[in-house]
Amino acid sequence: MVSSRDDSRLLTNSIHDCVVFRSHVSDYRDSAVTITVLGMACAAITAFLGFFQAPLVDSDSWNAPGAYRILYWHVPFAWSSFLSFCLLFLGSVSWYVKRSERGWSMVVIGSELGLLFGMGVVISGPIWGSAEWGVPWDWGDVRLNTYALLTSVALFLVMSLRSQPDGEETRDTLAAVGLFGFVLVPITAAATTIWTNRHPEVILRESEETGFDPEILQVMGFGAVSFMILFIGLVLLNYSIYTLRGELEVLNREIDREGMD
Amino acid sequence: MKVPCRYNMLSSPLAQVKEIDVHRGPFKVLEGASVTLEEGEIVAVMGENGAGKTTLIEAFAGILPLRSGEVIWHEGDELTVVRDSEGRRNPPPPMGLTLQKGGICGDETVFERMVVSLSVAGISSDVEQILELLDHWGLRHRSNDRVAHLSGGLRRRLAILCGLAPAALSQSPRVVLLDEPSEGLDESAKVTLRGWVRALSSMNHAILMATHDKELSSCADRVLVIEDKSLSEVPGDSSGEPSKLPGIGQTSDQSPISSLVRWSMRMELRNPIETVGRATPAIVAILLSYALIMDHDLQDIDSRLQAALILAPAFIASISSPALVSRLSESDCGRWWNAVAGPMSRPAFSITGASILLPIPVTYLSWFVLSGSVDDQVSSEVILWLWIPALAMMDLAIAATALHLLVADLSRSSAAPVPLLLVVLVWPFLELTDALSSIIDEGMTWGLSIHEPLVNCIVASLISALVWLAAVMIPDY
Repeated sequence: MVSSRDDSRLLTNSIHDCVVFRSHVSDYRDSAVTITVLGMACAAITAFLGFFQAPLVDSDSWNAPGAYRILYWHVPFAWSSFLSFCLLFLGSVSWYVKRSERGWSMVVIGSELGLLFGMGVVISGPIWGSAEWGVPWDWGDVRLNTYALLTSVALFLVMSLRSQPDGEETRDTLAAVGLFGFVLVPITAAATTIWTNRHPEVILRESEETGFDPEILQVMGFGAVSFMILFIGLVLLNYSIYTLRGELEVLNREIDREGMD
Repeated sequence: MKVPCRYNMLSSPLAQVKEIDVHRGPFKVLEGASVTLEEGEIVAVMGENGAGKTTLIEAFAGILPLRSGEVIWHEGDELTVVRDSEGRRNPPPPMGLTLQKGGICGDETVFERMVVSLSVAGISSDVEQILELLDHWGLRHRSNDRVAHLSGGLRRRLAILCGLAPAALSQSPRVVLLDEPSEGLDESAKVTLRGWVRALSSMNHAILMATHDKELSSCADRVLVIEDKSLSEVPGDSSGEPSKLPGIGQTSDQSPISSLVRWSMRMELRNPIETVGRATPAIVAILLSYALIMDHDLQDIDSRLQAALILAPAFIASISSPALVSRLSESDCGRWWNAVAGPMSRPAFSITGASILLPIPVTYLSWFVLSGSVDDQVSSEVILWLWIPALAMMDLAIAATALHLLVADLSRSSAAPVPLLLVVLVWPFLELTDALSSIIDEGMTWGLSIHEPLVNCIVASLISALVWLAAVMIPDY
């Protein structure tokens, strides 16, 4: 049996460890905040460049040349959400194969960022679609629907992570949902090239047909880098929040035990 | 900590857990636990609330994921890895199992429950034998009552009897897992329980029971105490006189999966909330569509919209939450089936719980109500081939049920937004809409290019099959 004196020593040690850990996490979080703020600033600059500096696309190739400017955010949103979903799926696999805590943290972070960036895609896409196609959504377009589905999966995961008690079986089920989404990613890739209806095919191609100016590609590239920085910052920030939550739970349990004693 | 086998008997092991780590919630409940159950021994598991008694019982039954270690069952010379940390999972040999919540659906009658418990354990028994079993536990007069109509104490008696009966009627040694068996029983039932446990032990069956009851644990040959994630063992008193049990039953070849399918169908016939619950929104959808288009000539409407209106009621019926999910969540009934039928229970439930009967009649009804003034030639062509997209809708219904079952695994499944996952089924629905639209416009064609109706139906079925596979295979990996 552990005596109450041992208990109090354990509690003191664990609080001390926790304080040391928190100071590390605090440093770590500071840099995460810095990177996130930098990413957001760059994303804002991308928007500025996209709306006010980048040239218009060829009006013969596009129905609404002015509306294309929203793509400076829409496309990086799509890339970032794909990265987020990859993180989610890798985390799901890692949880299934190794039952690793880090794998689970990837599921949590991947689903939250997948939702954030996925929402960016499914909100900005229809705005552009309304102008370019005349309709905000095309139920016949497999890629659009895939994005809607992936974002739905991310929303399901985020809502379930908040509503379900954390546990092995909960994690198994939610990781299964993450992997379920993963099965659909290759279909998305196939959809991009095979089944596309209205959605433009790979648009980062400089040609007369697409009507893209090299300057457009530069701004788009800057946007991609900006969102990548933002993505990295948010991953780090979410990871530090995730670890802090774990530490808080340990401390809560110590207090619970103290209360019982 | 390793707990050794009984030293004083030369008997064979029936089941064992080896070096298992089990987490409940974010915390480790069992660490490096190893227990072997030998033929003819009674093992009591004791410990404070939340110590891990139920966890150990459920780990033996193979229904808990393991962080490390494995669960092995023996049947004669054969070894079965029931579950391990690598993701392997197999159904255990026939056993008796009483979960803490009973694992019984309220729509079953007492008699049916007995038949089911015996049939999944490979025992066929006649009516008189089951009535005799019920008589021992004071349940004979209730044999035709639904379980939902029993008092809590009688329901508990039935749950215990269903756990003990497969061993009582079996000639070969069986494992009996009992979680808090004396909880909720009156004194006379507790006496019966102790007598039966001793009697089963004398028939070489092994009993593992989690309990707080000192009198019940005094029957045990050894007592495992769980404290701070570890097991320790103390010798038991092995006290108590064995009761006289009914005679041995006959073995049956019926598999647990076929028992499961029969059970599922019987529950629906008894209380057809599945059919009514799905048919009602489908019919409402047909009537709403009719109200919307009654002033329009259907020939003026785009064929794709027309097809969507025709198929929407069957789609709504297909994706509605199956009543089976509610039945399985009642008193941990789904966990009981999961334990006795093993990993194939999920695919079986996804098919039996799906709306496979409704899509064809609902789709035809929808056509007859909504087609109105459509040209006779078109109408006869559609009537002739409408069954093809309706048939593919059955695959969609099975996939939807698999998704519902996947989410039902969550401890607070009612708090999880299942419809977000059902969005994936819009694809096959759209494919079927395309197929029907082509049939309306051009009649049925048998080409194999990408926009032919037959290909659209096959693609819809394939997508549904993919969703189904992902939903039933991944969780039990």
